Amino acid sequence: MNTGISIHESLKEIKRLKNEPLLLIVIVAIILFVCYFAVWPVIKVVTVPSLSDYGQLFTRSRWISALKNSLFMTLVSTISCTTIAFLFAYTIARVDVPCKRLFRFITLLPIVSPPFIVALSYILLFGIQGIITKGVFGLRVDIYGRFGLWIVQTVTFFPYAYSVIYGVINSISTNLEYAAYNVGASRWQVFRDVFFPLCRPGIAGGALIAAINVLTDFGNPMMIGGDLALLPTEAYMQISGWYDMKTAAVLATALLVPALGIFVINRFWVGQRSYVTVTGKEISLHPFELPKAVKWGLFSGCMAFSLFVLLVYGTLLYGAFTKTWGYDWSLTLDNMKYVFFKGEQILNSIKFAFLSSILAALLAMVLAYIVQKKQVGVNKFLDFIAILPGAIPGLFLGIGFVMAFNTKPVELTGTSAIMVLALLFWNIPTCYSASTAGLQQIGNSVEDAALNLGANSFRGFKDIILPLLKAPFLSGFVLSFLRSVTCLSVVIFIYSPHTIVGTVSIMGLVETGQWGSAAAFTVVLIAVAFGVLKVARYLLGKQGIKLEL
Amino acid sequence: MCKKTSLVVLLVLALIASMLTACGGGSAEPADDADAVQGGKLVVYTALNEEDILAVQKQFKEDTGIEIEYIRLGGGDAVARVQAEMASPKADVLVGGSVDLYEPLAKEGAFEKYSSPNNADLDPMFNDPNGYWQGWYMGVQGIVINTERFDAELASQGLERPKTWDDLLDPRYKDVLVNSNPATSGGAYIFVADQIFRLGEDKAWDYLKALDQNIHHYYKGAGDCISPIAAGEFIAGVSWVHDIFKVQKQGYPIEIIIPEKTAFEIGGAAVVKGGPNTENAKIFVDWLLTKEAGELNTQISNRYSVRDDVAAPEGLPTMEEINLVEYDRSKAGEMKPAVVEKFETEIMSNRG
Repeated sequence: MNTGISIHESLKEIKRLKNEPLLLIVIVAIILFVCYFAVWPVIKVVTVPSLSDYGQLFTRSRWISALKNSLFMTLVSTISCTTIAFLFAYTIARVDVPCKRLFRFITLLPIVSPPFIVALSYILLFGIQGIITKGVFGLRVDIYGRFGLWIVQTVTFFPYAYSVIYGVINSISTNLEYAAYNVGASRWQVFRDVFFPLCRPGIAGGALIAAINVLTDFGNPMMIGGDLALLPTEAYMQISGWYDMKTAAVLATALLVPALGIFVINRFWVGQRSYVTVTGKEISLHPFELPKAVKWGLFSGCMAFSLFVLLVYGTLLYGAFTKTWGYDWSLTLDNMKYVFFKGEQILNSIKFAFLSSILAALLAMVLAYIVQKKQVGVNKFLDFIAILPGAIPGLFLGIGFVMAFNTKPVELTGTSAIMVLALLFWNIPTCYSASTAGLQQIGNSVEDAALNLGANSFRGFKDIILPLLKAPFLSGFVLSFLRSVTCLSVVIFIYSPHTIVGTVSIMGLVETGQWGSAAAFTVVLIAVAFGVLKVARYLLGKQGIKLEL
Repeated sequence: MCKKTSLVVLLVLALIASMLTACGGGSAEPADDADAVQGGKLVVYTALNEEDILAVQKQFKEDTGIEIEYIRLGGGDAVARVQAEMASPKADVLVGGSVDLYEPLAKEGAFEKYSSPNNADLDPMFNDPNGYWQGWYMGVQGIVINTERFDAELASQGLERPKTWDDLLDPRYKDVLVNSNPATSGGAYIFVADQIFRLGEDKAWDYLKALDQNIHHYYKGAGDCISPIAAGEFIAGVSWVHDIFKVQKQGYPIEIIIPEKTAFEIGGAAVVKGGPNTENAKIFVDWLLTKEAGELNTQISNRYSVRDDVAAPEGLPTMEEINLVEYDRSKAGEMKPAVVEKFETEIMSNRG
């Protein structure tokens, strides 16, 4: 594409906005809002080190290998996350098999795990002295390093890809596939030429979210990465192990570059092709019945994976009620008593997670709508700022927030507002990906048709776009809620004695080796998060809205 | 077209309005805090254990009537936080963690100069020559052993419990030993520097390379190895004695060994410049240096007090019995970049 022409066109589109002052106001407000709360903190952190500090990046061999390792792990873990996510999404959305409730549960569970704690479950089960590896099979398996990390990251992050892919698959009409069968296409041809291309925005969006999560993961590599140096752990340890903010800022900035790279590649891969399903209607015909072998093959794939995840979390649950984690397995309630002593923190966790995710889902939906459906000249820029917070490691975002909002005019440190705002921006990319993937499935023609038939604009948006966006909106919201409840990295620098949340205590317990209490805390947080989800489902169900995940 | 966007506008305005109310609601909180300050409060950022700070909170309230509000963080996280908040400090005092981590903050002007009248009798190494931080406890490095696995697998091969750093070179420790990496851990660097001060530059690198043959992998943080060893994943490792002790207390089959020529850290406290209750912070630093506070901390956290008249933690050798290496802090600071880089190129890069 000729950039000269595209810039010219953008300018023309911007000029045209003069005729739509309201839209203009919205766009300007969003840009200011996002820049102030997402870009400004980043600038604050990026400008801490001097140029010569940045020069170290290219001279220290450890950081060069950290960069390579990070890219490698991101590549392999993203591929596996996306594959597993697709397997689950396809099976749950399209295949008539039992145990779907279990599979759905499995796609949520890893999201609710705070960093560090699950890794010890893996080590206990699959480590050198692992209960399964050594105890059951008598194997000597070494999980410390790339391989172990790959497995753990796949389990931890596939749900992020799943939620986006499922949202898209669920909104793809089966009618097109029936049409293809009717003109004589084979099952494989239909899958490859009709179904799969329609999934591509979802797969790309899901892969993007998974990739950024893998890239910025520091909890798993700390416990299970062995000698592997990775950028986020190096950045975190410069603060935690060497008290060196400048170097940490250098490494965190170095992390931003590949994160933005992933973003560009993703947009390139989805490409300019249109993947719109013409009707935009929800599935009207039952999915075509699959051959038995394929059906049960998919089922056993999902089942094997689910059992693996259940085993890991089952160990965690059991460990929460034992005297000393991994050693003395006799049962006790002492760990639970400690959690109830800290009940206020769990309430805080829920409160901040709820507010931040509902606001993030709203903002993301509006952003996605403008980017996808309006030609405003700055679409690419809006798209960029919506996904940018996802490229910022949580720790980095947290430090940035403290630095940026610690003085007048906007002094927020120590307040509840800073907790909500930081989590809000941390959640925007998740919600935005879900909304975007959903919107890309809705052709303009549907809305236009409604308008032509005499519906006014408000009705067009309310009756056509909103109902179609409900599923991605809710899945974005719930996903954000769950990950916020167990978020540690973002809040660790901004909580105050009054706004302390559960994960902070878990981190402290892990640090001091009180794994049993940490497991108990984790179990309670997971239970509470699912409890809230259940209540939300019930309340929405009363309104006739089905919350599907 | 115009009408269609009006809905979008409404949504966004509603969103921003709710943001503002959230901000408004939140910002009322610090105002309440400011009022309460007059009643005698102290905001503490601490790298101590939860249990330790709870005991300190209780005792300090009894002794002075001042109410402590605390945040517990890892040492580095606490420092990062004080640094990030420098423009408008929320903490009055930073407590716990090595004084090595106080040094950069002092240079940046985050601390208020304060020399407690109670520090006059202490060994000068515990008092910052510039008066920004105060040493009030000591931590020493040691070896952590999983006794069950040691007895079952190594004792049967005729190996005795290690007594010195050099004992760890025995090839029977191959792949059951873990350590941490000086590139990511201040504690691990102190271990490496300890070897340099103990053996001299050349022999120290020979030692580290020989030890490397036995090491399964290097953790990122100095404390990361303790729980896996406690759970039996590995047999031995190097960490801080007070950290090992916390895990041992829970009933794991682990033992602490303090080898000859071990290194130590000085645990610090500092008054944050511009905090809301600076006077109370000074009272707190004075209090930390009292015999009673020293005994309380020693008893609960197993750290050594800087005071001669406070006994060693129960079950551990006295400071006189521990044979410390001559640790030159300023030299350790100077050689750090070169040592860390050498460790990376000569040891880490040769590992799979």
